[in-house]
Amino acid sequence: MDQLSALLHMSPATLWMAFKVVLVFAGPLTLAALMTWVERRGSAMIQDRIGPNRAALFGKWRLMGLPQLAADGIKAFMKEDLVPPHAHKFLFWLTPILAFLPAALGFAVIPFGQSFQSGGQTYHLSLLDPGNGMGMLYPLAIGATAVYGVLVAAWSSNNKWAILGGMRASAQMVSYELGMSLAVISIFMTTGGYDPHQIIAAQHGMWNVGPQFVGFLVFFTCMFAETNRLPFDFAEGESEIVAGYFTEFGSMKFALMYLSEFIHLVTASALIVTLYFGGWRVPFVANPGVLLSVAAFLGKTLFFCWVFVWVRWTLPRFRYDQLMKMGWKVMLPLSLANFLFHAFLMFRRG
Amino acid sequence: MFLIFALITLVGALLMFRLKNLITAGLSLVLCFIGIAGLFLLLGNPVAAALQIIVYSGAIVVLVLFVIMLLASHEEEKPEKPRGIQRWGSAVTVSALGVGAIWIVKNSKILASPTTPNVDPMTLNRLGASLFREHLVGFEIAGLLLLAAMIAAVSLVKREL
Repeated sequence: MDQLSALLHMSPATLWMAFKVVLVFAGPLTLAALMTWVERRGSAMIQDRIGPNRAALFGKWRLMGLPQLAADGIKAFMKEDLVPPHAHKFLFWLTPILAFLPAALGFAVIPFGQSFQSGGQTYHLSLLDPGNGMGMLYPLAIGATAVYGVLVAAWSSNNKWAILGGMRASAQMVSYELGMSLAVISIFMTTGGYDPHQIIAAQHGMWNVGPQFVGFLVFFTCMFAETNRLPFDFAEGESEIVAGYFTEFGSMKFALMYLSEFIHLVTASALIVTLYFGGWRVPFVANPGVLLSVAAFLGKTLFFCWVFVWVRWTLPRFRYDQLMKMGWKVMLPLSLANFLFHAFLMFRRG
Repeated sequence: MFLIFALITLVGALLMFRLKNLITAGLSLVLCFIGIAGLFLLLGNPVAAALQIIVYSGAIVVLVLFVIMLLASHEEEKPEKPRGIQRWGSAVTVSALGVGAIWIVKNSKILASPTTPNVDPMTLNRLGASLFREHLVGFEIAGLLLLAAMIAAVSLVKREL
């Protein structure tokens, strides 16, 4: 690290920061691109189909349908960029950015490996170092702004399906955010801190999923609602409202919005892992070191990504009133009960 | 850095009340809130910045936009007749408030003898401690007010309970 930074005339801290920025931006993006492939292959597996298998590199190597990613990318770039008549031009142009930015920012606070020391300096494997004061409030804040991508897309495209999808999404995201925040708050309470590094440190010996199982269930369900995935994909609801809020979006605009949904998926899995499954911790190993801890984090995150795909192709979509009832009458009271229960336990322990 | 966030805040606020289209006006309000969150960060209070984004831009403006989208018209209604007194009265009030704010800042004692600022950033733990130790009465009164507002809202919507 020191030699490389001297070679580049940078301080080790700057070099490490630049490296982390690239990693935290490119990592979830790559995973998201791969997840589009996993989703197709996974759905095909679950529904006893074959899935994408036609695209082949140089007409020869099919690689289990992986070249389909490149084919899709080239298609999105080459397509004509249409703007529907009477759309709000500026907002229509702004929408993919509004959808992509929160998705790309959300990962910044999550530690994806154990901190290590080199040359008398501690390097943390999260873009924002611990003690930044934002902690886990940061992904909540970024997640809260993600709804604007949907809302602006819905309104700017001047389409009734789009606006129906956007209104469903905004009501849904706001109502599930409450249950989710309360579940996270009970973790803050039992940890005694809200920095992700502290939360992971507090999960030494016992992952939060054990004592906080109810909280985990609530958070997990709310993550489906926040990422707009089946059984809660009312914003899209292709069998009811064509494609919901991105009905009018084509070419690279659509590709960016589609990709940002998958980045949200990766971030949501990473959040679940950090809050409830010990982050980078490896069972029965106190100090796993950098490589093993990153591998453990990646493995857990990928597992939850797969669970998202799995659930999507297994469960049918709820009806809209069922969704609202579930958000306000099941998730919120459950979350509150979980919070009060843990507060009571802490009070009894003194 | 301060100038960037101050500009974002000002541009958002100005656009918010100059734009005739209610949706774009609401979105500029979000821009303004994000600028304010940035200012909070510069003041060493990341908790307030996060809460500003979570509560104001994440929940309140979303609900406002939701209601606006439910309405048929997305444009600001024209007044039936132009009211000069409103326009001039508001201009006078705003300029008086602006002059007052500048006067207060000019005459503040802290500005006369600047001390090294407290660089210790605010944390959620410190916020909770000060909320429940020093400002407990205010906190409880706010809670009571919100409860009353909630009961009133429910009773307004549900005619027969």
